[in-house]
Amino acid sequence: MSALDRAIVDPPRVAGVGERSPMAGLERRTVGFVDVLAQSVGATAPAAAAATLPALIAVRSGHSLLVCLVLAWILVAGVGGAVGQFTRRMAAPGSLYTFVTKGIGPSAGFVTAAGQAVGYAFVAMFGLVGAALSVQTFLASVGAAASSAAVTGLGVVALGAVCFVVLRRGIRISARVTLVVEVVSVVLLLVLLVTVLSRAGAEALAAPFRAGLPGPDGLVAGTAVAITAFVGFETAASLGREAERPFLTVPRTMRWTLIVVGFAYLLSAYTQEAGGVSFGLQVADNDVALSALSDGAGVPLLGRLLDLGQATSFLACAIASLTALARVVFSLGREGVLPRAVGFTDPLRSTPLGALAVVVPVTVALPLVLLAGGLSPWRAMSVLIAVSAVGYIVAYVLVAVAAPAFLHRIGELTRSVLWGCGAVAVALTGVLGVYLAVVGGTDPLALSLVGVVVLGGGSGYLYVRMRQPEGFARMGLFDEPISDDLLGGR
Amino acid sequence: MSPGGDAGGRQPHAVRSALSVLEEVARAGPGITAKQISAALGLPRATTYRLVNLLVQDEYLVRLPDLSGFALGHRVTLLASNAVPDRERETAEILAGMRARIRAGVHLASFRHGHLELVDVDPDFPLAAAALGDPPEIGADPGAAALDLLPAAGAVERYVVCVGQPGYGSLAAAVRDDAGVLVAGVALAVPAPRLEDPAGLFALIHDDVERLRMVLTRG
Repeated sequence: MSALDRAIVDPPRVAGVGERSPMAGLERRTVGFVDVLAQSVGATAPAAAAATLPALIAVRSGHSLLVCLVLAWILVAGVGGAVGQFTRRMAAPGSLYTFVTKGIGPSAGFVTAAGQAVGYAFVAMFGLVGAALSVQTFLASVGAAASSAAVTGLGVVALGAVCFVVLRRGIRISARVTLVVEVVSVVLLLVLLVTVLSRAGAEALAAPFRAGLPGPDGLVAGTAVAITAFVGFETAASLGREAERPFLTVPRTMRWTLIVVGFAYLLSAYTQEAGGVSFGLQVADNDVALSALSDGAGVPLLGRLLDLGQATSFLACAIASLTALARVVFSLGREGVLPRAVGFTDPLRSTPLGALAVVVPVTVALPLVLLAGGLSPWRAMSVLIAVSAVGYIVAYVLVAVAAPAFLHRIGELTRSVLWGCGAVAVALTGVLGVYLAVVGGTDPLALSLVGVVVLGGGSGYLYVRMRQPEGFARMGLFDEPISDDLLGGR
Repeated sequence: MSPGGDAGGRQPHAVRSALSVLEEVARAGPGITAKQISAALGLPRATTYRLVNLLVQDEYLVRLPDLSGFALGHRVTLLASNAVPDRERETAEILAGMRARIRAGVHLASFRHGHLELVDVDPDFPLAAAALGDPPEIGADPGAAALDLLPAAGAVERYVVCVGQPGYGSLAAAVRDDAGVLVAGVALAVPAPRLEDPAGLFALIHDDVERLRMVLTRG
């Protein structure tokens, strides 16, 4: 009789595993693979990013979009590898900051939480403004005049309310809608791209490959912006508690999201460059690049549909980013770093209601301030995405540093992980430095917002260390296994 | 991308390794680390880490709250629900064959938990009520009383005999695992005269006991 048979007949008692996880209150092990995939895809928002980011990258890098995208893809895949080391081993609603806390301690965890919160919040704001702007573009294109900052502001408020309602109801509905919208938008986009390519001359088709390399500054800054096209892929990790078989689902979701959106971006960027040459359009800083392309290719209806798809993709991006942000805030509330009230969950719907009540209003308010300050919506978006990129990259660097430390602590470090994560951390730190310098030179508003965030985060850190030492010490809570998970549990 | 798909390409080998990981966790008990599993099984560390993560993904293993220790997961019962009915069915078949062939009551008892538990009582030769009690007073029924003598018998004894008062008694054959540990006993309930040639009686069931040993000690 084998030990396994004996254990099945008479399961052993396991010390340290209780009936209840510190993250109790959120749903557990109920969200399927498709919905988790929708979270990552929604947060990444490939339809919106494929449409708008080439224009934003080209501002920094000129005609070397493709190189920047490939570099960003490689770096983000490395980050995915580091995050995957954690998501295969623990389920944590706080995701990145919880991982970093487990690897290199609560101070680094706090910085990561700040980076993550800024990344998610500013992308959500970017999404809200983008959605409002796309709706306006669509309305204008069908003849309804609606282009003023006040209308955009109203749109942001209305869409923020939609986000709150959807998020409060639970992620399943929003996730399914998100996925359908993204798939439809990406298919429309591919149709447009193929149409454009089929009508472009050989000269235009070859042009994107002939573009010379930009200077190192432009290349790195372009890569940093290109990274923002991929950010959000890791938000599946924030559903670690809620996902079915999370240690399988979450890493698999991240992997497939990265693979698919990477190809979509490359194709989109290539087409915009080739189409731009073919139809004499400027890609850089063009907020209606796709509409112009579809007009140029003689399929204006496709462009109108894409505007609509883009609007929904932006909204999906806001919803998914807020989903992740709310879980970070919820987790910090459970630990006692933030007030306990934000760790409150809706007893009927098992959603993090306390956190949502804080993060949604904040996400609506800041874009309104920017618009009221006289920024055009497109300009506001470019500021928001720049700040978000800084937050994300800081969090990514720390995760890459924390992964080997964590594996060493639990005795599972291998040499390939050590070298891989080390290379990613060094490269991303370089990208961050150059990016901050470039943003400082071209976009002082974004840099001063980063400064405000750093000051706020710094004083928050001091306050928590002085006044909430027990909350600080509790950082790193995650969804622990419960007795039901064990053999003989029930 | 299928579960187990990246465990090294040589699938049958990977499956065997995965089962040996589960076996090692069961043997060592909750809290064993991946490093310890790798050392105990002589598997390369990177392979072991991949295997334990795959087993955690499929919920055969659970990573404990300290994040370094492992315990068996709830899905391990899926392995059992296939294995146990097979074993029960084969055991029942062997006993049915014995009962059809031999003019005697055939009772099976398990010693797996260190004490006697009646597992399968011959319905045509009911035992005294006290023998079926909890805990069983097996000595109360001469038709099974020999089972009570098995734990005290030496590891080389293949059977023991016990004759009771009303001219009735039993022979109990020992089922031992490879290490000589008593796992089960089969009792033949027969009239006392037939116990005068215990070796002849045992010869009748020798092959059945061997088959039971194979079924009940199978890993």
